[in-house]
Amino acid sequence: MTGAMEIYQLLPKTNCKECGRSTCMAFAAALLSRDAVVDDCPILKEEKYRDNYENLTKIVSPVGNASETGMIVHEELCTGCGNCVVACPVNVAEDPYGAGAGKTPTNDKVILRVEDGIVRISNVEDCRRFGENKILCSGCIVTCPTKAIEFI
Amino acid sequence: MNEKYYVCTGCALLCDDIEIECDGYRISGVNSACRKGVARMKGCQDPLACSISGQKADIDAAIKEAAEILTNADNPLIFGLGNSTIEAQKKAIEVARRVHAYIDDTSSFCQGPVIEAILNGQIRSCTLDEVRHQADVIIYWGADPANSHPRHLSKYSYFPRGKERQRGWEEDRTAIAIDVRHSDTAEICKDHFYQIPPQADRELIDALTSALSGKVPKVSFGMESKKILELASILKKAQFGTIFVGLGLVYSLSDMEPLIKLMDKLNEVSNFHLVPMVGQYNMRGADQPMFNETGYINRVHFDTDPTGADVTRHGPECSAVELLRSGEVDAALVIGSDPMGSLPRSIAEHLLHIPVINIDPCKTQTSRNAAVTIPCALGGVESGGSAIRMDGVQVELPVILKSDRLSDMEIFDRILEVL
Amino acid sequence: MGFGKFLSIPEYDITIVTHRDIFQNTALESSRFAEEYEKLSAVINIDRQDMEKFGITDNDPVVVRNNFGKIIVLAQGSGYEEPHPGVAYMLNSPWSNALVSNETGGSGVPSFKSIKAVISKAKDEPVTTFRP
Ligand code: SF4
Ligand code: SF4
Ligand code: SF4
Ligand code: SF4
Repeated sequence: MTGAMEIYQLLPKTNCKECGRSTCMAFAAALLSRDAVVDDCPILKEEKYRDNYENLTKIVSPVGNASETGMIVHEELCTGCGNCVVACPVNVAEDPYGAGAGKTPTNDKVILRVEDGIVRISNVEDCRRFGENKILCSGCIVTCPTKAIEFI
Repeated sequence: MNEKYYVCTGCALLCDDIEIECDGYRISGVNSACRKGVARMKGCQDPLACSISGQKADIDAAIKEAAEILTNADNPLIFGLGNSTIEAQKKAIEVARRVHAYIDDTSSFCQGPVIEAILNGQIRSCTLDEVRHQADVIIYWGADPANSHPRHLSKYSYFPRGKERQRGWEEDRTAIAIDVRHSDTAEICKDHFYQIPPQADRELIDALTSALSGKVPKVSFGMESKKILELASILKKAQFGTIFVGLGLVYSLSDMEPLIKLMDKLNEVSNFHLVPMVGQYNMRGADQPMFNETGYINRVHFDTDPTGADVTRHGPECSAVELLRSGEVDAALVIGSDPMGSLPRSIAEHLLHIPVINIDPCKTQTSRNAAVTIPCALGGVESGGSAIRMDGVQVELPVILKSDRLSDMEIFDRILEVL
Repeated sequence: MGFGKFLSIPEYDITIVTHRDIFQNTALESSRFAEEYEKLSAVINIDRQDMEKFGITDNDPVVVRNNFGKIIVLAQGSGYEEPHPGVAYMLNSPWSNALVSNETGGSGVPSFKSIKAVISKAKDEPVTTFRP
């Protein structure tokens, strides 16, 4: 997953405060938690930062794509391998002989499934990272070969 | 949810749990297949046309012309077959017998040696279902299924729960990657990734064999004895181990001897199996009927001796690669394969100088210069039949969509009629 | 003049290891003649320090050649954490196959996986194409 340091490396590092934060590092942290968007830094619009700007918009997806749990799927990275589908503890509990056994999900209660070669999310409210008894589950993150799933 | 499941022919994993949505003539949705499988089932953007010498032709004329080329040639070659059903492969052997052709499939320069050792009983193998239910130690050696067989880990080898593996991958299974490259599969195996220099597989095999015999293993590259001993001890403790062999390993061994020795040793001290990571969906199928009929899996010449009697010859000199290198063949029928794109250019070039018959659903680098092109139905989508999965299990392929293109089996049938 | 210009571009030895990629495989299933397949295939991934040594930066066209063939592809940094000087990566494709040796020792199996070649910065030559 992307870290604040990685984001910081792509910023202008001038600490000019134009973005409303006290330093570029603070802005990086804000980007990571999606409290800010890349466009908030006007300096990045300068020609010499064009590559950095493009890279940043790629690694920090807009918050609009995130589900209530903060889950983001980078569809362009997903190979449809189904690792996350089979590894997700909720999928296993809801559909032990389908998704849990490596096969196509056999009911609608699963969180993750692969459609047209790309992972799709539903029933996010059941995700272990959500709600009152939330835990830091990372089943779908560590099993993904391309880091296509991210939580913010 | 659908009641009916289809089979994906995107690779030799032959995933048999695919849900399909159709809107009349086209596949509009494919569920549970990986990205590559979806692309395959939805079909290519450049379908092959039926042609003779680059001119549009009807199918009857093209088949007649194909039969003529095969009959007129002294040394015709039939090659490809990894993307054909078993039924078509059997017909291809019949055609080869009839015109005294060389016949070879893609396993000749892929997993052939491994499949042969398994069929001859020299190496112990197992099924993918056994792996899912039982395997606790899984090795991907010179293989990167995350890219070549995307659902391998999720459907069978690492993540799914099985009868004796109920608790999930973290507790129940250990996945190990051995490769020259930090692949996506290696990334998933994390601490159990063993990186080796190119061509060092043989050395590591020998070192592991000694470690399993209680000797101190040594290698010339930077891997410490301690690390090799650690690996050996994981293998020793396995209840049900499986090595998945990729092309990286196959290509770096000049023969199977070291691998057979390692497997023997492993089965003295532990319980191990080996499965080839076959690429094309029915490459393993191509080897089976040939083995049943001739005793050889590939590289066969249906020759005649000076008295005119039929003899079956076999050997590397009968392989597609050697025949193209030496320029021995004077006509070729290429089916479901693209040697102009997938073989070294320096070898495939001979195909530019001889009449080529190309049977494929799609245009390829090979079809561009073919004397005759015959489009066939897309196997597993527009035509059915049976195929053999990478682990030797036979899988039936239902038809998803009707098409007016002939299946590859029907095309061979028609060629036989003309012959 | 041609010869002098040729000499002025330094060449470096390199071992190319080939491998597979699902996105490129997917592109192949859709169309082996489309831009997407070419874009993913006509690339060589080089060690970052090697790139500096060769005097090339990301997406520079490079000539890769040996006795068997010559291709022009785009150079890109490999993105691996561990350095791998002298080793570069390419996906299996007509581009990599253009460089594979025709020597097989009579075994019937070419050496697809490990290719010896020399690499140099390209001058005004277009990337090799296999499109009709
Ligand atoms: S506006 Fe940009 S350059 Fe200025 S402090 Fe914020 S992040 Fe740094
Ligand atoms: S975080 Fe855990 S419960 Fe939530 S989707 Fe991922 S694997 Fe499933
Ligand atoms: S594990 Fe990653 S690549 Fe595989 S289906 Fe899930 S999100 Fe996609
Ligand atoms: S892993 Fe192979 S058989 Fe399974 S869906 Fe993907 S391409 Fe098809």
